[in-house]
Amino acid sequence: MQINNIQGLILPKKSDEEFLKVNFDSLFAHDFSNIEVYEFDIMGLETIIDEENYESILFDITRSVDNKQKIITINKNIAEPIFLIHKLKENETFYTNSLKIKVAKDIKASVVEVFVNSCTNSFYGVNRKIELEENSSLEYVKIQDINASNSMIFSLCVEQKDSSNLEISNFEYGNGFIINSFENIINAQNTNYELNALVKLFGDSTTSNLVKTIHNEKSSISNINYKHSLKDSSKAVFKAKSIVNETALYSKAFQHCNTILLSDDATIFAQPHLEIYIDELEASHGTTTGTLNKEQLLYLQSRGISKEESYEMLLSAFENKIVDNIKDELIKEFIKTYKRDKYV
Amino acid sequence: MEKNTILKIENLHVNINDREILKGLNLEIKPGEIHALMGTNGAGKSTLVKTLSAHYDCIVTEGKITYKNKDLLELDVSQRANEGIFMSFQSPIEVAGVNNSYFLKTAMNAKRTYTGLPEIDAMEFLKLVKEETGKFNIDRKLLQRDLNDGFSGGEKKRNELIQLLMLQPDLIMLDEIDSGLDVDAIKTVANVINSMLDGKKSILMITHYDRLLELIKPDFVHILNDGKIAKTGDYSLALELDEKGYEAIGIKDANK
Repeated sequence: MQINNIQGLILPKKSDEEFLKVNFDSLFAHDFSNIEVYEFDIMGLETIIDEENYESILFDITRSVDNKQKIITINKNIAEPIFLIHKLKENETFYTNSLKIKVAKDIKASVVEVFVNSCTNSFYGVNRKIELEENSSLEYVKIQDINASNSMIFSLCVEQKDSSNLEISNFEYGNGFIINSFENIINAQNTNYELNALVKLFGDSTTSNLVKTIHNEKSSISNINYKHSLKDSSKAVFKAKSIVNETALYSKAFQHCNTILLSDDATIFAQPHLEIYIDELEASHGTTTGTLNKEQLLYLQSRGISKEESYEMLLSAFENKIVDNIKDELIKEFIKTYKRDKYV
Repeated sequence: MEKNTILKIENLHVNINDREILKGLNLEIKPGEIHALMGTNGAGKSTLVKTLSAHYDCIVTEGKITYKNKDLLELDVSQRANEGIFMSFQSPIEVAGVNNSYFLKTAMNAKRTYTGLPEIDAMEFLKLVKEETGKFNIDRKLLQRDLNDGFSGGEKKRNELIQLLMLQPDLIMLDEIDSGLDVDAIKTVANVINSMLDGKKSILMITHYDRLLELIKPDFVHILNDGKIAKTGDYSLALELDEKGYEAIGIKDANK
């Protein structure tokens, strides 16, 4: 079964501005032996047919082979985070998983998803919808650790009601071929949306993050903050578009992307983009690309710390800025002590 | 090299950005000696201490540096530090995200491992820091923050003193440690330095300020000019310089 051959499925084209730097050819042409829905180990989840109209056509890839969506509804405050661990084991398999996370009015919750694999040449199509009711709050943390020869397309759509708060922390550790798509069309007031990510790549991995945010209502905040540390011949794509429409007075829209290139062959394509139609707002965007600060390296070494250890200390300092944004201490500890070996 | 010499610099030529800054410098420091390095701006004072600590800007084109009977130029930055060379930076670098306490403990353990001693744990480290900083009323809260991150000029210099106390180097190089400090802070610097003088530790300090030399009396004062030591004397040379200026003692100020 090839994705290219799915009847009626419109696939991203190289010529599309959004996908300009992402090469899907080998994924779409790969002939998978099996198709499998990845089931959660949770009893009694409601299932619906996903008929949503998404901005990104990437949702359709997963939906074309499995249009059912599970729903987790969180309607009471939970002290501990909900952990969802995905372990892909079968080779040559097209896995799918679609989930809606609903957080009820005035409720505060946190969800952690971990994606790991022990298979080869498999693909994981993951669709996520997050719905936040009025004055609710969700801390959503994702660790992607899908490794070489495997691929994943993770598509997330957000719907926020007034005064809701969504904080996403996205950790990209795997060395597979990964596409993440985040879309949030803000049709509510006084919402807060934070998307923080650490993209830590090595080997031949390619990870692309496509982020689209549209402000249609007053006084909402979006803050997109990506950090990349890229080794070997890894490649990262960061394309963020934030649109602030005329109706979205007093919005705040920020985009930042910092990259440290740790080898001559590592590549970043970073394109932050703001489209603003009003004057009454706060907005900024920026991207930096460089290597570790040599003055800082020298300072650490000048106190006896070896070059290698100084290098690791500075890299951790850069990366930990994303971990430090996590509010839930349990999750923070989970991220700091995360090891792939525990799951595969 | 004589047995009781800690550092011997012979005919040192150093370039920065292809421009020769040190032009055949000779200097010998014995254990326990305090040397003060003075000179006009651009004379090469900072270049000398940066070269001794293997700063990447400094390219040695000629000459020899022997430290504790080893060829110093064969050692990298961290090896030199672990051999006991400490350069107090004129402007200590801010390193956001690296906790100051973690940094210092890592540095101490790097030196201990280098010298074959067992590493110290967090409890021992805290005890030592408390003891050493307590002697001089240095605020330990600096250790809870990130390394020099957002520190004032004075806090940065105090942090250098904490490192100095904890690392106990053999050759202490102070590059204008008194710059930007008030009189009380200079006294603290002097107290720390003087307390470390055990007859074995040597000091090479760059200063423009007579006040520091009053408090840390040098055995030798060197006037650096155009990349070489032009004049050497004792403390009285610093006093004469303070009173009369460079030109009166026969040193041409290239900046004029």
